[in-house]
Amino acid sequence: MAEQTWLRQYVVLERAALRAQLQYRVNFWTTLMGGVAYQGTQLLFLGVLLGKFGLIGGWGFSAVAFVFAMRLASHALYVVPFGALRLTDEMVRDGEFDRVLLRPVNPFLQLVTRMFPLMSLGDALLGFGALAVFGWQAPVDWTPAKIGYLILAVVGGGLVETGIQTFFCGLSFVATSTFSLRIFADSSITQFSGYPLTMFGRATFYAFCTLFPMAFISFLPATVLLDRTSDVPLPTWLTTLSPLAGVIVFVLGYTFFTKMMPRYTSPGS
Amino acid sequence: MSTADQVRAFRGMTRAGTRSVLIYRGDLITGAVALVIQVVLAIAVWRIVYSGRGPVDGVDARTAVAYAAIAACLQSVLLPWQFSTLPMRIRNGQIATDLTRPLGLIWQVFGQNLGVLLGRLPLGAIGLAVAAVLGALTLPPGWAAGLLSLVATVGGALVAMLCNLIVSMVTFWTFEVSGPLMVYRFGSAFLSGSLIPLWFMPGWLRGSVEWLPFQAQVYTPVSIYLGQTRGGQALALVGVQLVWVVLSTVLLELVWRRARYRVVVQGG
Repeated sequence: MAEQTWLRQYVVLERAALRAQLQYRVNFWTTLMGGVAYQGTQLLFLGVLLGKFGLIGGWGFSAVAFVFAMRLASHALYVVPFGALRLTDEMVRDGEFDRVLLRPVNPFLQLVTRMFPLMSLGDALLGFGALAVFGWQAPVDWTPAKIGYLILAVVGGGLVETGIQTFFCGLSFVATSTFSLRIFADSSITQFSGYPLTMFGRATFYAFCTLFPMAFISFLPATVLLDRTSDVPLPTWLTTLSPLAGVIVFVLGYTFFTKMMPRYTSPGS
Repeated sequence: MSTADQVRAFRGMTRAGTRSVLIYRGDLITGAVALVIQVVLAIAVWRIVYSGRGPVDGVDARTAVAYAAIAACLQSVLLPWQFSTLPMRIRNGQIATDLTRPLGLIWQVFGQNLGVLLGRLPLGAIGLAVAAVLGALTLPPGWAAGLLSLVATVGGALVAMLCNLIVSMVTFWTFEVSGPLMVYRFGSAFLSGSLIPLWFMPGWLRGSVEWLPFQAQVYTPVSIYLGQTRGGQALALVGVQLVWVVLSTVLLELVWRRARYRVVVQGG
């Protein structure tokens, strides 16, 4: 019962947010294009780089493009439903969060439905399009089990990103401006999570598995599908379980968020 | 208002812009850490891509690595995410107060943007220092090249600021500008050559990129600094920057003339 009302609240609020965004027609189309263009840049970059150099860290274009596509599809699963989280630090700074606390709806739900991130539709378009194209071209013999694993991996990756961003929202209650941090997380994931992450050396790779768990977003599950788990300095069973990391990261992020929320202080006027 | 007063007002806007960056210390520190990590990873990527390979298209590993490091730093100074407060001011109606100020709106915004850029200079310096420690930087081939690249950096910054202002002006018509800004951001990230130098782009792509204003922002100063573009060619690139400064100033003036009749003050 409680869960049903949650979902209903989400749908009602998100629909209102979407309506608000659709007021600006020109912006709608340019934003959609912007989403495709921004993420497409990275694909173009990988294409130009590998067109010139052939391999990176022993991986060719078809494998790297597949990782890229998985990453973007995961990103879409974060940014379409939860993208509005990025407004949190502004709301905390301007004191708009006061209003959130006064309403009888879960604060996290209100933050998430604060605005519908239009650009995310562009991400989704390109992400799932790329996954279809590069999944087809990737050196993987697709079976129903592997397709199931791919779906789990993409959902897990989306949860990892949502968890990281939720963690930053929690941080914004004590740090006022987390803008740089979030942009950094976003651009690091965009720029670097498409590479075979083991190429940066062991220490950096382990940091990507723990401190900043970017490796779980697409690289680790992709090694399972591409049959390259031997590249990874982790036991194969652990690599195979990587889609589960999403749940863990999200629960950690959300717990941190709820622990930090009472420390919110309304800015004086 | 006399010219001296106007200059003083402009300086005031610049100072305010710088302060708006420096006041969020935590943000600045994370920004610096983020840039350092980005520079380190960019250096790693290019070293791995080359790994023992000789020059590709006449560019050796040292030059490509130095390019990646400098371009990342330059981009973080020139093109941060929130460059201008103009779109926000138009949307929430603050624009009304701005328009009553004795200094023209364009100069106010320009002053503020310049301030933000100056405030972010230390970030770029930290990034470059780390690149130097990692042995990724090289010196310019001579004094002339070094000096010219400095001129080109200023030129690039001017082109970047003017383009940014023109894109922000779109808000007068659409109220929401995050879309156009994203397209612009795409333009500046890839087409300016900050992700990958123009040398490595296939002919068709390079041909089109050379006709756009973005390459003047990052590619021009860095390739002159590294001595990849020399002599007459280097001077020609700086000339192209100048043309873009003039063209975008004219365009900005035209857009602003129309925009001022579109001002709708929102809220009360």
